[in-house]
Amino acid sequence: MATYDWVFNTLGLRDWCDGSGGGGAPMSMSDLMNKAKGDAPEVSIWDTPFPSMDALNDSCEAFPQSREVTKGLEQGFLGIKDALSLVLDPITQPLSWALEYALWAFQGIPWWIMIPFLALVIRLISRSWGLTAFVAGSFAAMAFIDYYDYAMQTLAVIFVCAFICVLLGVPIGIAMSRSDRLQAGMIPVLDMLQTLPPFVYLIPLIFLFSVTEPKLYGIAIILYAIVPVIRLTNLGIRLVDKEVIEAADAFGMTKRQKLYGVQIPLALPNIMAGVNQTIMMSLAMVVIASLVSAPGLGVLVLRGIRNLELGVGLVSGLGIVLLAVILDRSTKAALARVNAAQKH
Amino acid sequence: MADPKISIRKLYKIFGTDPQEALRHAKDGMHKAELLDQHRHVLGLRDINVDMQAGEITVIMGLSGSGKSTLIRHLNRLIEPTDGEVWVDGSDIMTYSEAKLREMRRKKMSMVFQKFALLPHRTVLENAATPMIVDGAPRADWEAEATKWLDRVGLEGQGPQFPHQLSGGMQQRVGIARALTSNSDIMLMDEAFSALDPLIRTDMQDLLIELQRELQKTVVFITHDLDEALKLADHLVILKDGEVVQQGEPQHILMHPNDPYIVDFISDINRARVLRARTVMQETEADPGNADGEVDENDTLESVIAKAEGNADLTYRVTREGRQTGVLPMRDVVTALVPTEASDDGGIRKAS
Repeated sequence: MATYDWVFNTLGLRDWCDGSGGGGAPMSMSDLMNKAKGDAPEVSIWDTPFPSMDALNDSCEAFPQSREVTKGLEQGFLGIKDALSLVLDPITQPLSWALEYALWAFQGIPWWIMIPFLALVIRLISRSWGLTAFVAGSFAAMAFIDYYDYAMQTLAVIFVCAFICVLLGVPIGIAMSRSDRLQAGMIPVLDMLQTLPPFVYLIPLIFLFSVTEPKLYGIAIILYAIVPVIRLTNLGIRLVDKEVIEAADAFGMTKRQKLYGVQIPLALPNIMAGVNQTIMMSLAMVVIASLVSAPGLGVLVLRGIRNLELGVGLVSGLGIVLLAVILDRSTKAALARVNAAQKH
Repeated sequence: MADPKISIRKLYKIFGTDPQEALRHAKDGMHKAELLDQHRHVLGLRDINVDMQAGEITVIMGLSGSGKSTLIRHLNRLIEPTDGEVWVDGSDIMTYSEAKLREMRRKKMSMVFQKFALLPHRTVLENAATPMIVDGAPRADWEAEATKWLDRVGLEGQGPQFPHQLSGGMQQRVGIARALTSNSDIMLMDEAFSALDPLIRTDMQDLLIELQRELQKTVVFITHDLDEALKLADHLVILKDGEVVQQGEPQHILMHPNDPYIVDFISDINRARVLRARTVMQETEADPGNADGEVDENDTLESVIAKAEGNADLTYRVTREGRQTGVLPMRDVVTALVPTEASDDGGIRKAS
């Protein structure tokens, strides 16, 4: 009847096929067509189907169809979901609190304190009046067109997520730099995190946490943005001049003295470059995360797409660009200062 | 002779996946090229036995790949040997625990590196004080000690600078000050002057000789430069392909090279500048009577020739602190300038 009947016949599985299956799988359109025609048409060698699950199912009804794979995955995930969220929920709860608190603080502080405060911070880390004026001007402009609240929400989310990325990423990077085995194990994971479309890991997260909780988008942003800081910390420490490490050993430094006195200071330019990338990537993710209720400029971008409000979409997009430029320039200015302090 | 300060016994180092297996072949007499060819293991060091006396400069010389840098790193166990022992002050450092090893590195040995290996984010003063900071000394102590040694190596007032603001020669002075601050008896110097340009290198060699006269440390000095080796060495060890080819007093090696490799090596040097009167003289306390003058036993042949104004018919009395130790006919001086050949020499080029 179908192409691969002979496989089951020669294996002597015909009874199993006809016996237990019994039309459990729903019939596809082509099956119906075939049935209507009565006889199966002769299949030429050119049209021989790949022995896929569906093709085998045609020959043997007891054989599972390919949609069972995705369905099985889904069932499996749903099966462990409760246990998983029982563990993950308490661990990630502080993230929710941090995000809520940061959002509250960034929005609660009046603009006439916040804008000068941000300008002051930029002035301290960059030591540049030009950049300070640019930052103050950008925020004033966003406030003028009433986008100030959204910008502050985005800033609060990035602030928390980037901070946690550094908090987790730097130690992971250090651990990787010390163990080749850990590095070999981590690199595929990091590659996957970096290339997996961000929408994809939003789906299981939605199952695990309720959409109303801030940690849902917090985790999504952190997973996406943590990669560069881990990679560059690992790389930075591995790139520290071998002779300097030898000198540290030769003068009897302990591992801890070596780490804090030599490796981290010398790897700092690379670590800072990683932090800069992490901040940029969390900014990119904050827009996608607005699909799962992340507040901020991303929500407006989404509104622009959904309602085809061209102006709203463009202005909020430009607002994100402005934030990106501000964050990038100020972290780069800090990086340049670190570099200047330790020329070789 | 007194007990050696450092004593290396039957040291082997083999790099590769299964060093123990390759070690057996090396002990059975296999050399570097065969071991690499037949067993894909790199022979770092093979059966090294060297005694280093307290207060002497031991120079280990060899070309790149001869294993000299590997050897010096065994003395403070920056590299672990495949087999063998290293004795320092009468105890085998291979038996040391990690803590005891760290203690030894802090108190007994210091190291100077080819590329200086200073910490770029610390000031010159902090760099010089590294050994004491590592050991947890209070700030006032290490500041005073490091300043003292920086002054001694000629870096007065450079303390607040950062290393990258100094020239190469000055950076290496910081490296030496750092080694001295640790107050250790033993100083390991790994091609310490190789990265410096020739004039500064000479300055640094003079500084080292001067410091050594004053401090009497046990110095282990690595170099690929024969002139440098002859200038500094009390005891010269020549390595080739991970094996000791010849070791001994440098003047002795110059006059009696035992290997074509060494003959080849020493054929290019300026013998007049390196050989000394005591090496060439005929030992006798009897006054030759017809002497044309006196030279000190440590005078170089160059200065003797200058004194004789090239006249080959003169004879000098050789003295140590005024007392005669030998006579030196100028004819012998001139003959000594022709390189000696090893007994089993075959087709090695001669110096012109």
